[in-house]
Amino acid sequence: MSSDTTGVLPREGVAVSGVRAALLQKRTRLGEHAYTVVRWGGAAVFAAVVVALLISVAGSSSQALTRSGVGFLWSGTWNPAAGEYGAGILVVGTLLTTAVAMVIVVPIGLGTAAFLSELAPGWLAGPLSTLIGLLAAVPSIVVGLWGLIVLTPIFANQVEPFLASMPLLGWLFRGEAYGPSVLLASVVLAVMTLPTMVALSRTALAAVPVADREAALALGATRWQAVRKAVIPAARSGIQAAVTLAVGRAMGESIAVAMVIGNRPALPTSLTAPGATLGSAIVNQFAEASPGLGTSSVIALGAVLLLLTVAVNAGGQALLRSGGGHRAGTAGALR
Amino acid sequence: MTVASALSRRDLVRAAAQRSLTRRRITGRLAQALCAVAAVASVAPLVALLYYTISRGAQVLSWSFLVNAPTPPGIPGGGISTAITGSAEIVGLALVIAIPIALLAALFLFERSGRLAAALRFSADVLAGVPSIIIGIFAYALLVLPLHAFSNLAAAFALAVLMLPIMIRADEEAMRTIALDLWEAGIALGARRGRVARSVVLRGALPDLVTGNLLAIARAVGETAPLLFTLATPVAAMTLLIYTDGTQAFPIAQETAWGTALVLLAFVLLLSVAAKIAAWRISRRAR
Amino acid sequence: MSGDPIARPEPLSLVAEQRAAANTAASALTHGHPSSATPPAVTLEGVQVSFGDHVAVRNVTLAIPARQVTALIGPSGCGKTTLLRAINRLHDHTGGSVEGSIKLGDIDVYGADTRPELIRRRIGMVFQRPNPFPAMSVFENVVSGLRFNGVRGRALLRDAAESALHHAALWDTVKDRLNQPAVGLSGGQQQRLCIARALAVEPEVLLMDEPCSALDPIATAKIENLITRLAADVTIVLVTHNMFQAARVSDQAAVFLLGEDRVGELVEAGATDELFHEPKNPRTRDYVAGRVG
Ligand SMILES: Nc1ncnc2c1ncn2[C@@H]1O[C@H](COP(=O)(O)OP(=O)(O)O)[C@@H](O)[C@H]1O
Ligand SMILES: [Mg+2]
Repeated sequence: MSSDTTGVLPREGVAVSGVRAALLQKRTRLGEHAYTVVRWGGAAVFAAVVVALLISVAGSSSQALTRSGVGFLWSGTWNPAAGEYGAGILVVGTLLTTAVAMVIVVPIGLGTAAFLSELAPGWLAGPLSTLIGLLAAVPSIVVGLWGLIVLTPIFANQVEPFLASMPLLGWLFRGEAYGPSVLLASVVLAVMTLPTMVALSRTALAAVPVADREAALALGATRWQAVRKAVIPAARSGIQAAVTLAVGRAMGESIAVAMVIGNRPALPTSLTAPGATLGSAIVNQFAEASPGLGTSSVIALGAVLLLLTVAVNAGGQALLRSGGGHRAGTAGALR
Repeated sequence: MTVASALSRRDLVRAAAQRSLTRRRITGRLAQALCAVAAVASVAPLVALLYYTISRGAQVLSWSFLVNAPTPPGIPGGGISTAITGSAEIVGLALVIAIPIALLAALFLFERSGRLAAALRFSADVLAGVPSIIIGIFAYALLVLPLHAFSNLAAAFALAVLMLPIMIRADEEAMRTIALDLWEAGIALGARRGRVARSVVLRGALPDLVTGNLLAIARAVGETAPLLFTLATPVAAMTLLIYTDGTQAFPIAQETAWGTALVLLAFVLLLSVAAKIAAWRISRRAR
Repeated sequence: MSGDPIARPEPLSLVAEQRAAANTAASALTHGHPSSATPPAVTLEGVQVSFGDHVAVRNVTLAIPARQVTALIGPSGCGKTTLLRAINRLHDHTGGSVEGSIKLGDIDVYGADTRPELIRRRIGMVFQRPNPFPAMSVFENVVSGLRFNGVRGRALLRDAAESALHHAALWDTVKDRLNQPAVGLSGGQQQRLCIARALAVEPEVLLMDEPCSALDPIATAKIENLITRLAADVTIVLVTHNMFQAARVSDQAAVFLLGEDRVGELVEAGATDELFHEPKNPRTRDYVAGRVG
């Protein structure tokens, strides 16, 4: 970089006298140093936040973890009154609600993405995806409130009795229909992860070159065959990323789940039975936790949740980064 | 390959294509119909959420609901003014913390490529997926426990941590899409990097920066879990008020929750629509 | 326009003449009758394709003889691809509207009770850039069309794949890696895989849209050889903007040029050697002599 232009654009620079130019140069050099410092500073503060988060969550849960060791992860009972703390049941509850939520959201989300990207005309696809995008903006507390006040009675009186009466799958939903349940929590989670699932899979489908669709059509495939056999497989890593990130989001949601799951830290006997997840247990136990070991145990639940979600999200991000790169330059209709 | 087998194969493929066509078409129609049903099912929750929040919230919503302070249970005439101002204060404070740090970190990423930047970017993406409740625990362990006090500052810190990764990535993206050629032009003219960054990049990317940050704000305003660990009283923020009142069995408390939910939802949706419109206008101008 | 460097020294008309002589001899052997007697496989009459109010190509009347290579030549942008895609109804999906009549044998391609899926099975297509299905193996790519069309049976699919790969001169190259991803092949191999994939469904007509434009000269030569041999079984419509290629491989040629109003139109069609030797239309003469396009 030439020194005579300093920070001033040439047009102004012509009029600057020698002395002023020298002064300016000194000042801008100072400014340049300052700029470098603050830029690195911003990055450093962010990195420090990340490190501090890890350290403080680990540190605050150490009391509980040193007492129970790794056994904390799978020890089955969570009974603060008896001084028994174990994450096992809550991990199971978290995985169960997430899995059921995915059973609901993956087909619906993927079907919607396919509809938006492959089947719907442009005038419909645009507004529809904007609407679904707005769903992503709805705060989880509002979804939770809706689940609690609106869905709970519907589930208790209609949905759960109906599901229990189904011929082959009824056993999954047997028992008393309360309303608050693993199933309701999963439905709420499905609603909350739907926008992620739709947006990311739609992006993945849209990134598949038109040439792939036309190759299938030109062989005599129907439009759906082209979507099913050519487009969706080509978008696989993007769709996997969508599911993985939706899983991460579902596992980590706490407040809305706490409102509708019924909060019973025991192995659910059916999907319509109440249960608990790591997140819902943290919400519910935190205020009542006794100082010291109690609080530390609740925070240790957070540490377990952090581990789970970071692993899942890192996987999802890696998938996102790996996808798309194949056969660059074939996008767009061939003419 | 013999001529005979080729001929028979041609007939065979022709027959199979013809025979299977009806099935293929019906399957296709069915699958397409299912996709359309899925799309309707995807829009339904939003419609239902809006419908219930508006219809239930509107019954409580009034000027006094917005400007009156909450009253103890049983005493009529209470409002949610403290929750609104509380939310505004916490989010405002969080913005003061997060915006400059995010902007600088984004400039760092914008100007650097390589392992360090990639690692930082990756951790931002992963941190963006860390459950907000963990971030609440973090703020609790870092600020509440040592100081023995719940505070708006602790809550604001939690929301700032929550927004940081979202803002960093959005800011960097904004700089990249809008300003790369401007940036290079500035460097080519011999302007120093700091000056280029300040004047050219930031000004060029400003509308996009606004969009990205608006979305991050919308996300932060709606967060509940981090506040659970950092605020002393539920009336200090809208989301917390919805949680505590909504989980009460009293109709009056639930009404307050719906009213607050409507205010919150209106604010958040307004923010995201504003962000969308800004983004749309930018992309139209760019064309 | 880029001519193939290997062929450049030879005058166009000479290349075409040699090709015609060879072809007459060959077709007399394989079919027992001169090429002029074969009935048209595809007939276009007054065909026009437009996108919205922009007409891409108009007024094309052309008979494409069966089991010969017909080259559509002309400069870039004169509607060759657009016309080609009209023949197998790919414009159903791109918003192009097709007027006039296109017939496969005596079936109206755009007839009210013509199923596009069945028509496309009979009129295969090879695209400008190799486009094997990226998520499929070599084998799955070749049999994908058969699966689309409801053909089942492991042995049947294997036989069909082997035969199609033989026809595409690819069998020896890929027989040991049938289960590996198709995207691992080189560009030329991928294009021959796409040809095999198209051949596997036993089409009567094969549309090829500048199949060599993304390939190097050696891969190009292989595909050109292939085209000549395939014409014994399949009617081939080859789009190219390379006149030397047209001269080397085609029996018939149709020249497209942009009209005054920048709409593509068919200027002249006929036997390739005649067209290059003694073009009737002055615009063809200019084009063949390299003065336009
Ligand atoms: N999908 C499309 N939409 C609009 N215009 C198109 C489309 N495809 C082709 N065209 C137009 O049709 C004309 C002919 O294009 P094309 O058939 O690709 O020419 P060629 O293959 O001879 O180079 C061009 O003006 C092109 O812009
Ligand atoms: Mg073309």
